[in-house]
Amino acid sequence: MRGKKKEKLLLLLVNLLFIVICFGVLVPVLYALSVSLNENNSLLSSEFSFIPRKMTLENYRAVFFDEPILLWLKNSVILAVITLGISMSCGIPAAYVFSRRQFPGRKAILRGLVLLYAFPSLLSMTALYKLLTPMGLINTKAGLVIVYTGTMAVFALWNMKGYFDTIPVEIEEAAKVDGASPMQIVTRIVLPLAKPTIAVTAMMILIYVWNEYIFAINFMMGSDTYTLAAGLNSLQATEMSGSWPVFSAASLVVSLPILIIFFALQKNMTTGLTSGGVKG
Amino acid sequence: MTNNGTNKENCKRKDALISYLWAGPSLILIALIVVFPILYTAYISFTNMNVYHWNNYEFVGLHNYVNALLVFDSGFLSALLMTIFWTLVNMVLQLVIAFVLASLLNIKKLRLRNVYKTLLIFPWAMPGYVSILLWKTGMFNSQFGLLNQFLAKLGKEPVRWLGTNTMAFISCTVVNLWLALPFMITIIDGALQSLDKSYYENALLEGATWTQRTRYITVPMIKPIIAPSVVITIFTTFKQFDVIYLLTQQVGSKTGSSLHTILTYAYENAFITNNYGYSSAVSIIIFALLILFTILGERGGKGEKA
Repeated sequence: MRGKKKEKLLLLLVNLLFIVICFGVLVPVLYALSVSLNENNSLLSSEFSFIPRKMTLENYRAVFFDEPILLWLKNSVILAVITLGISMSCGIPAAYVFSRRQFPGRKAILRGLVLLYAFPSLLSMTALYKLLTPMGLINTKAGLVIVYTGTMAVFALWNMKGYFDTIPVEIEEAAKVDGASPMQIVTRIVLPLAKPTIAVTAMMILIYVWNEYIFAINFMMGSDTYTLAAGLNSLQATEMSGSWPVFSAASLVVSLPILIIFFALQKNMTTGLTSGGVKG
Repeated sequence: MTNNGTNKENCKRKDALISYLWAGPSLILIALIVVFPILYTAYISFTNMNVYHWNNYEFVGLHNYVNALLVFDSGFLSALLMTIFWTLVNMVLQLVIAFVLASLLNIKKLRLRNVYKTLLIFPWAMPGYVSILLWKTGMFNSQFGLLNQFLAKLGKEPVRWLGTNTMAFISCTVVNLWLALPFMITIIDGALQSLDKSYYENALLEGATWTQRTRYITVPMIKPIIAPSVVITIFTTFKQFDVIYLLTQQVGSKTGSSLHTILTYAYENAFITNNYGYSSAVSIIIFALLILFTILGERGGKGEKA
């Protein structure tokens, strides 16, 4: 009897602990939400409450109409789509070949890629800047696309190769016996089987471009060329206290698509990433 | 016979050619955009390129490397020590907290387990830089940040959370834990669930205490499962840039702390003080360190498997 009571008490304590921790974890986001919805932003007043007394969407209106956020969104989407297109169309065949075929230099290249994967692209920023300047690619979308595709090319190749390795070769061999051409094998058999890794790799590339700010703020001058991440960065840096409610509204708007994608793909995320040899 | 042999050889050559063709575009991209800039960085590291010598730079030999590695005042070595300390503190805290929370999540009768899990991984789903900026303004801001508002309510003096090195280190660690724990909890939780429960039943029959079970069964059994993820996290922590840069070093809103990891150090020398030659040398040293760690990590991984 006493043991059961003790167990119940323990369970209650654990539940309480988790409720406190979960709330604590969400505080920064909840606070931003509360500030963004609060009509009279009495930031300095002492009677702060988490649930705004007067709700307003004024800050969200300001985000969409007073700030060039739609322009930044357009820039981000263009960059993301082009980067995604190039990375995937180069990455898929390469990952397939590295997973399935033997050719001279394969091992050495793979080893080299592991080392390249350890290199943060931030460290070659000076070199990239110096190389892109004479080509007139600084302050252009093309310049950023070049940087982003390069950074993501190594990841895409590795991640998808790791997944291809887990697909049994027998299926392809059977198709070969049946007289399918290499092209048919890839388009009819391999690609459908590799859907999960293609989806996750594509998402990781999109998220990377969506979130990348340091190249964007250094290579792009002028706020009309900014991406969402760079734009958001400029919102918080310019008028610190004044724009905090607008900034928190903008932060949540920018995060929303990523949150949706993450929770929609959560199950795939872990399998699609852990099967690859190298992870972020 | 010989005819057959050359045919086979031809076939092989054709096969290899096709492989190169398929892998070509990706490899060319990587060579041009990743490898070449690294080589160019190495080249710059031997020059005195800076904002005054952007085009008319000169070769200075190993001067930049000597500055970085042998002159303690240059700041690189202290940044390196700080980075090692930062990685150590963060990894220990991450592993301990994640292990405790994941163990608690696996208590049999915890009904709301999945609700807690979803809420706990929320920080993982937020774009990292947005979270950091929200922390910076929402939590740490000395006037209207939540922490100081809370202190004010208690009648305490406001604290400059990012103002000194020690406070900045603690604040950055908190944010980094906030960002990184969801992944670690997920990994350890997955490992705990994959464990064979029968070991525990035997141990319980023999009267093993919780500490004994943890020490002799749980930890040794989850170690190989979580090892790859832990290694990856060590690398990410070592290469951490966003947390420290965005919290304390943004242009125009420096907070007064001079906390540096090697990555923020390299960045500051390149894009703030514009000492490109020196910063490139630092970059190459960091790359060499990372390569060394990668090789050591692989060796260690192999040793564990054998």
